[in-house]
Amino acid sequence: MSQCIRFEVAGVPVILAPSAALPLVHVLVARRFGATTDPVDGAGLCRIAARLARRTAGGRALPAIEEGLDRMGASLVTDAGYSTVAFNGVTLKRSLGAYTELLADLLVRPSLDANEHERLLREARAELLEARDSDRALANRALRQTLFAGHPYGRSVSGTLASLPSLTLERVRQHHAEATQRSQFAIALAGDLDEAAARALVLRLVSDLPDGQSTAPRPPEPKAPTGRQLVLVDKPERTQTQIYLGLLGSHVEDPDHLALHVAATVFGGSFSSRLMQAVRVERGWSYGAYASLPVDQVRQAMTLWTFPKAEDCAPCVALQLQLLEELVDKGLTQRELTGARRMLSRSHAFAIDTASKRASLGLDALTLGLPADYYDHYVERINAVQLDEANAALRARLDPSRLVVAVTGTAENLRSGLEGVIPGLTSTQVLAYDSDTL
Amino acid sequence: MPQISNPLLKKRQVLVQTIAAQLPPACVPEYLGSVPFGAVLRVERWRYPNGLTLLSCEDDCAPVFSYHSWVRVGSRHERPTKTGLAHLFEHLMFGETAELGQGDYDRLLEEAGAENNASTWLDFTQYTVNAPAGALSLVVKLEAERLAHLQLVDEPVAREKDVVANERRYRVDDDIEGATSELLWKTAFVRHPYRAPTIGWMEDIEGFTTEDCREFFKAYYAPNNLCLVVVGDFPLRKLLELVGKAYGELPSGELPVEDLWPELPQSEERRAELTKPTPTEKLTLGYHGPALGDAEHGAVNLLIEVLCAGRASRLVRRLVHDEELATDVRAFVGPFRDPGLIEISAVAREGVTAERLLASIDDELERIKREPVASDELERAQRRTELGLLAGLDTADGKASTLGFYETLLGRPAAAFERVENWQRLTPSDLLRAARRFFEPQQRTVVCVRSQQEANT
Repeated sequence: MSQCIRFEVAGVPVILAPSAALPLVHVLVARRFGATTDPVDGAGLCRIAARLARRTAGGRALPAIEEGLDRMGASLVTDAGYSTVAFNGVTLKRSLGAYTELLADLLVRPSLDANEHERLLREARAELLEARDSDRALANRALRQTLFAGHPYGRSVSGTLASLPSLTLERVRQHHAEATQRSQFAIALAGDLDEAAARALVLRLVSDLPDGQSTAPRPPEPKAPTGRQLVLVDKPERTQTQIYLGLLGSHVEDPDHLALHVAATVFGGSFSSRLMQAVRVERGWSYGAYASLPVDQVRQAMTLWTFPKAEDCAPCVALQLQLLEELVDKGLTQRELTGARRMLSRSHAFAIDTASKRASLGLDALTLGLPADYYDHYVERINAVQLDEANAALRARLDPSRLVVAVTGTAENLRSGLEGVIPGLTSTQVLAYDSDTL
Repeated sequence: MPQISNPLLKKRQVLVQTIAAQLPPACVPEYLGSVPFGAVLRVERWRYPNGLTLLSCEDDCAPVFSYHSWVRVGSRHERPTKTGLAHLFEHLMFGETAELGQGDYDRLLEEAGAENNASTWLDFTQYTVNAPAGALSLVVKLEAERLAHLQLVDEPVAREKDVVANERRYRVDDDIEGATSELLWKTAFVRHPYRAPTIGWMEDIEGFTTEDCREFFKAYYAPNNLCLVVVGDFPLRKLLELVGKAYGELPSGELPVEDLWPELPQSEERRAELTKPTPTEKLTLGYHGPALGDAEHGAVNLLIEVLCAGRASRLVRRLVHDEELATDVRAFVGPFRDPGLIEISAVAREGVTAERLLASIDDELERIKREPVASDELERAQRRTELGLLAGLDTADGKASTLGFYETLLGRPAAAFERVENWQRLTPSDLLRAARRFFEPQQRTVVCVRSQQEANT
């Protein structure tokens, strides 16, 4: 298994993970100018701008772009996150030249055509309406809006029905100009190409990019919610509920971040975790029960996700609160810590078992502002986490008295039961599932 | 499986003799040959005296391996009132055994850095463990232990029934796509067991007894109904010895005769409707299609690509891009042992009716039966399938899934490559013939989802 090669081309950091296992080349382009830069009244701007560039690369019409990709045996996906916009794809090796030209046209020469912009907004509106069919997505949206109220993380990357009309072509073009400067890019390549070919490819992609030095402003640190808050997304005829619990987590640069990561794994990061055992294995309440601790530019949320039937919703929330409090108060046992360290360190093999995963991991480090070799030493750092560090990180970073419980379900059947099992509840909101601001 | 070049055959014969010198005959596999799997790899077939099949594929591109157990039992083998048993049983396989307490199986694998999963479908049940290279002994031991000594007792069975009921609420009862699919198959099939959902009807899930589970286990979880697929970085001799020791003494089973009725041809269109709390209408069509082994399954796959794969495809371009009637259009042809359905589904935009979607879809289906597909369209579809095949083989797990699937369904583990090669040779005439055979309105079922909001207003 070959390691990654790191170099720069015209000031753009590049990671190459060569592998001749398959005649494919993966191209991952990250632009460090994500949705946290969306204006307060313009949620979704970054994503719409990136999608419009993808649909008007080099002045082509969208059907011509799609036909071209199919002819190459290639794919190209645009995705916006809070910190980055990604243009990721894979192509048959024999089509790499044509693929590179298309990608360069996307990055440097999108026409950002007015008709396509209008079409895209109509499509985005239809997608937001369709998203109302996902009870899980509704609960997650409600959680983020409430937990990160007033913070960029509380806004939807996809925008809302209320914000889409404000994303005018003028704003999109202005955003594109601001966001598309060479200093904001990082690129990872994986698959069947050598360093010389990789350098030539990247040069073709970035040589015509504007040479500006602007960087996206770092968002402020989010503030923890006041007390415990309940938000119900009311939808009729639900036999089941989708429950998200969220509280502030940690930042990857925190010295105790990996210690907290190990602790979160014990709590809800595997089938043997406390949460899964208590909710699914011992009680049969929910098919899944998970906790996650994502990372971004600043402190993100630790979230818990379960989906019990409506009758079990309140007891399930009560149980999760109890488990969370016990976790912070009493900490992990040595046996749990050892198990989680072994799992995380040994399973790291699956984070790097393909060239595209190795390249992607390196790109994540770059876009998070971490040292390029951050993940090269991940296993040693996980194995170095001690019990007192993990338990101290739990106490320092997690505050179960300040959290949000978001539930999608039929509100009239749930509200009083839920309010009765959340001690310290400071507010309850009920949102219609078809609200234009959700 | 075709015989291979002599040097490898001789090498394998020596290997078998070496193992035979150390282990009892029941634990010694017979070498049945190998076939190429792509440009670089080979898949080798072994059979133990109790009927257990092992497919091995050495691939040292990463220090990991994937260990799959494919059991030839799926929801097609279930009887009325006992639907969902194969799937429930898949859940129960993670429970206690003679040597392992509740949760030990998962804990031991997790601590070894392994990930595990399982799935059940119409024709099979499969179990996956992906593990770092050093964990081979543990994985073989745990997988054989649960096959040999699973404990089925009342309390865990009752809890797992609750979990499955919750899974059903998640995937079907509160999920529009799941509910639509269930109604489509139930309406399209009258006799064949494909009419029942793999997860089972709720009343059947609630009604299972521990004895039902024991009978099912005894009937189907025998080594001669199982294929192990191991792909990745492992020492072959050690694998053969470990599998022989762990599984070799398990007795073969008398497999039940499959007692099912083939579906009769459908002679008129069937319609069904659902009303749901959703802002927009949805439409799903199901045409009776080819079995995976049908000579025209490949042509239908390419037709699906031409119609619905990517934004340049006919239906997506027309409904999503040009007419702006839909948010999404998808199509799928079932890869099943018996003839399944060709499904086409579309999500309407606000104010658009399912009938309006159907008119445009029908127009395109009539066109594809009337005019040959252009050579450029065909070529694009062929490139997409080539990319899809290769992209699915990036990981050891992806390779094991592909091998296990085609071995279980067609008895040819490397059939994925054969199929894609065959597809490259298909012509517009082949697609025209397949379109005329399958896209006949009288052999379809139409399911419309109405918006409860619209109904209320």
